[in-house]
Amino acid sequence: MALWGMVIDLDRCTGCQACVMACKAENNVPAVGPKEAARGRIISWMHVLREESEERTRFLPRPCLQCDDPPCTKVCPVYATYRNPEGIVAQIHARCIGCRFCMAACPYNAKYFNWLRYQKEGPGQNPDVSVRPKGVVEKCTFCHHRLQKARERARAEGRDLVAGDYVTACAEACPTRAITFGDLLDEGSEVARLARSPRAFRLGEELGTRPKVFYLAEMEGHRRV
Amino acid sequence: MRWHGVGWRAGAGVVALGLIAWAAFEIWAAPPVTQPIQFPHKTHAGDLSLPCTTCHERAEKDAVAGRPPTALCLSCHAGGDATPEIKKVQAFEGGGEIPWKRVWRLPPHVYFPHRTHVVAAKVTCQTCHGPMETLDRPPARPLKTLAMDDCIACHEKRTGRAERPAGPVAVVAARALSTDCNACHR
Repeated sequence: MALWGMVIDLDRCTGCQACVMACKAENNVPAVGPKEAARGRIISWMHVLREESEERTRFLPRPCLQCDDPPCTKVCPVYATYRNPEGIVAQIHARCIGCRFCMAACPYNAKYFNWLRYQKEGPGQNPDVSVRPKGVVEKCTFCHHRLQKARERARAEGRDLVAGDYVTACAEACPTRAITFGDLLDEGSEVARLARSPRAFRLGEELGTRPKVFYLAEMEGHRRV
Repeated sequence: MRWHGVGWRAGAGVVALGLIAWAAFEIWAAPPVTQPIQFPHKTHAGDLSLPCTTCHERAEKDAVAGRPPTALCLSCHAGGDATPEIKKVQAFEGGGEIPWKRVWRLPPHVYFPHRTHVVAAKVTCQTCHGPMETLDRPPARPLKTLAMDDCIACHEKRTGRAERPAGPVAVVAARALSTDCNACHR
């Protein structure tokens, strides 16, 4: 049994947005268009938060933090979002009734609503991911379709899932390798090692949501002048 | 008089409802599929007892079963005397694939890997596809309408109901036969 998690090294992140684009391409995340964007309806499962000061600009890539104790699942009236036994906070679009309670509950604004039917199925999309209809909530799923495929392949080959079989699109695309993905319960894995690092922190730790996306804090020596 | 009026209205209502139901069926039901060649499954899978994977070979190799390549048909039907239908197959000898039309379709939010079910679980094709080997012409519609209940029923039955409530959710999802939503939905 795995517990999937992610570590994002803020020292390595350059804010290039490769993870954002990789996520959009991988997960058929729609471009909502200028009109909708102006109304604050942009959908971006992976979102790079930016903090600018005179001294420097800091970046913080924010996927769904896949809380171990997620507030969003507790308010879903139809069990469309729930914490999967492997720690992934799932979003079942076919089940979602679009009440948006989970969006209100999420302290990280990681959930997005399809106000309109933003896209149709067509060529150029990833066939492994469904195109969301109008009126459902969507969010980062840790590319769980990749887990489905990796597991299917491993099963056909008669072996267990090994590290590296399943990696999210953002982790794969990151040019500075700031994003590490893997099994937090596997003591020998890179992600578990980094999550134990003294630099590791989680967003909104005081909320008790216990996110499985860890951040590695910037070091003082890194400060740009 | 009053009763007579109600009866007339009720009758009109029934007729209108019937018309609406018929129109809804015509509009929403999948249109019947006509294949380019009247392939008899009965001859191949029934009389000759060929396993389904002889032609649908990708079912054992991939998530999607796909349609058999024309070259595979021609490996048996290349020469000799031929019925008009076989001649149609031979017309594709120069190249190009027979434009078979898809009959079975799962909703796009479902991930169904054929390989796992055929190779690892050894589920017979007929479990989902129905008695295809008895058909002497291609089906215009799926022989069975599959719903999620069918998937869940099989997944639960095969694991054994006695085992099901035991243990926390973590144990349930660790099994190969998962009933976790995320295992199939995407």
